[in-house]
Amino acid sequence: MSQRQLSTKHVLGIKYLNVDDIQLIFDTALEFKEVINRPIKKVPSLRDITVANLFFENSTRTRISFELAEKRLSADVVNFSSSSSSVKKGETLLDTVNNILSMKVDMVVMRHPAPGAPLFLSRKIPANIINAGDGTHEHPTQALLDAFSMRQALNDDLGGKNIAIFGDILHSRVAVSNIYCLKKLGANVRLCGPPTLIPKHISKLGVEVSYDVRKTLEWCDVANVLRIQLERQDIKYFPSLREYHQTFGISKALLDSLDSEVVVMHPGPINRGVELTSDAADSEQSIILEQVENGVATRMAILYLLASRRS
Amino acid sequence: MQLLIKNATIIDPSSPYHHQQRDILVSNGMIERIGEEITAPNATRIDEKDLHVSIGWMDLGAQICDPGLEHREDLESATESAMAGGYTAVACFPNTQPTIHNKSQVKYIIKNTKDGAVDFHPIGAVTEHCNGKDITEMYDMKFSGAVAFSDGKYPITDNGMMLRALQYVKPFGGVIFNHPHDAATAHSGQMHEGMISTSLGLKGIPSLSEELMIYRDLQLVDYTESRLHIHNVSTANGVRLIREAKRKGLQVTASVAVMNLAFQDEALSEFDTNMKVLPPLREKKDAEALVKGLKDGTIDCITSNHTPWNEEAKDVEFLYAEFGAIGLGTTFGLANRILTDQLSLEEIVDKLAVAPRKLLNQDIPTVNIGSVANLTIFQPNEQFTYASDMIRSKSKNTPLLGHELKGKVIGVVNGKYSSFS
Repeated sequence: MSQRQLSTKHVLGIKYLNVDDIQLIFDTALEFKEVINRPIKKVPSLRDITVANLFFENSTRTRISFELAEKRLSADVVNFSSSSSSVKKGETLLDTVNNILSMKVDMVVMRHPAPGAPLFLSRKIPANIINAGDGTHEHPTQALLDAFSMRQALNDDLGGKNIAIFGDILHSRVAVSNIYCLKKLGANVRLCGPPTLIPKHISKLGVEVSYDVRKTLEWCDVANVLRIQLERQDIKYFPSLREYHQTFGISKALLDSLDSEVVVMHPGPINRGVELTSDAADSEQSIILEQVENGVATRMAILYLLASRRS
Repeated sequence: MQLLIKNATIIDPSSPYHHQQRDILVSNGMIERIGEEITAPNATRIDEKDLHVSIGWMDLGAQICDPGLEHREDLESATESAMAGGYTAVACFPNTQPTIHNKSQVKYIIKNTKDGAVDFHPIGAVTEHCNGKDITEMYDMKFSGAVAFSDGKYPITDNGMMLRALQYVKPFGGVIFNHPHDAATAHSGQMHEGMISTSLGLKGIPSLSEELMIYRDLQLVDYTESRLHIHNVSTANGVRLIREAKRKGLQVTASVAVMNLAFQDEALSEFDTNMKVLPPLREKKDAEALVKGLKDGTIDCITSNHTPWNEEAKDVEFLYAEFGAIGLGTTFGLANRILTDQLSLEEIVDKLAVAPRKLLNQDIPTVNIGSVANLTIFQPNEQFTYASDMIRSKSKNTPLLGHELKGKVIGVVNGKYSSFS
């Protein structure tokens, strides 16, 4: 493995990583992708490291992906989720985490509903922290695995490529991280969705905004379709799923009517028939399941690189 | 008891000694002499370099948390904070428990603060429990000592309620303070809506939320011909609306919180919960417009926006942190640092001492022989780094630790009471 190191002690967000960090993560992930496709998938790299997965919000795939990455690296793993936690008894985040750290945990993977919670924690505790999603702020490992997957699908780096992000930008933590990552890698980014789900000032992050799905699909090389986050919508941002699908949904028929073949991505879980129809999600041009595989390799790379900084 | 202030530059346009360097002798709470080379062997001497004296400063809208929320602040600690900040008067908001919404609550504040260097003037609630629905006995409170009416940190959102409140206080020349914040468009916003809020994934409070409320209130003032104070404007468009209203002759005044002059939304880039305040810290163009508004008289006064919170309410994830920062102790040092090239010291003192009293129709003290001593003594050019041992509030929620401030308060005198650092 590479002797290069990350510039940061934590992975709190893409905005705190530089291009060299991102490139290093990609290079390392590529090596781990090869490892997890071997008959013996396990390496001893994190043998003396204990990782706590603290999930203060529901998650299935991100939690499993991290857990698998940690186990493939031979780390000791403890899991904590809010449904079985003392959080509901009124304990503060800091107390919960300090209790777990007293058990000598080296690294923390945390998902939390509050933007900035991992940064807050990084100021308080000595462990390395990986942000597994903080509210509508960042989800850096998702953005890295997305960009890694795009590079593989396009068989090229992302400089000058046109990447479109569709759907619920307002409630998405994936969108902001994706924008930061893609812009750092030199891609052109365009967002497309109903105006009520696109933050008013998002163009100041250097992206374009469109309300026309067809035109955006015609423009892009990759369509990253986001999940409609119904659970985070405290008020109605659009009238019905039916109308959303009619206006902003992507189907195989729509994809087939385009001049060029667009790579289709989705961070999951998909609302089938809402933002993406099943025939589009399962089509040849979809790389959704490769994203999942790359997720494990990317997370292994991040865990490995942070652990190697410790030594 | 005598107090001799040596070689102090007097900042008081109403005094014949304005801009003159003099000794001031205070005896039994009165200014006995102003002159050169005064000697008084038994007097306590205040003799420091660069001493300045003005009338005592007055803050509008501080949260003093007493009664009911004394774990954050009480009348004693609020008094200490105010004195440290150079204030001899504080018009305090009614967001206590119980709310200051009747005569007995008004009297509680006045009675429990009368023996001190800081006069506390309660601002009575407009609606019971600040619930926005049921109008309070404002006549009764007025004649018990309430100086104005407001629901404090809660904006009066109901148009009809605001209309009736403005009408109701008209016969006795009352003034309604409203916090310009439309909760519907600010829906669960955590900070100013802009590029920074977007990049932090935090819901924003658009400038529009303030502008809508100011626009509505100005229409209601026009209709009722009553008096309104727009408490703590933060947007460039808000300043413009107020400027136009004043030109039209509406009876409207406005204030700005010192934090909104000094900081912008970038200050929240690292999720500093002590920078999470209302009105939210906005953009450079807004801060510039606020300074311009101060300069041309659109904005009458500068407030501390003093909002104490216990550690548990602030040292948490940003989303769960309460809005507000303490400020009574640092308003002058921060305002003077920010405004030093743009407003004269006389203008700054006007915004801190004269204008607040004017808009409350209060008598304005003067630095003259034979007057009651109501004085703030300060060194406007003294620079220092704000440190935690300088905090006098019970709560420590200030974003200013480690920041440079310009202008040190030496002490205050209010009649027979005085306090010196």
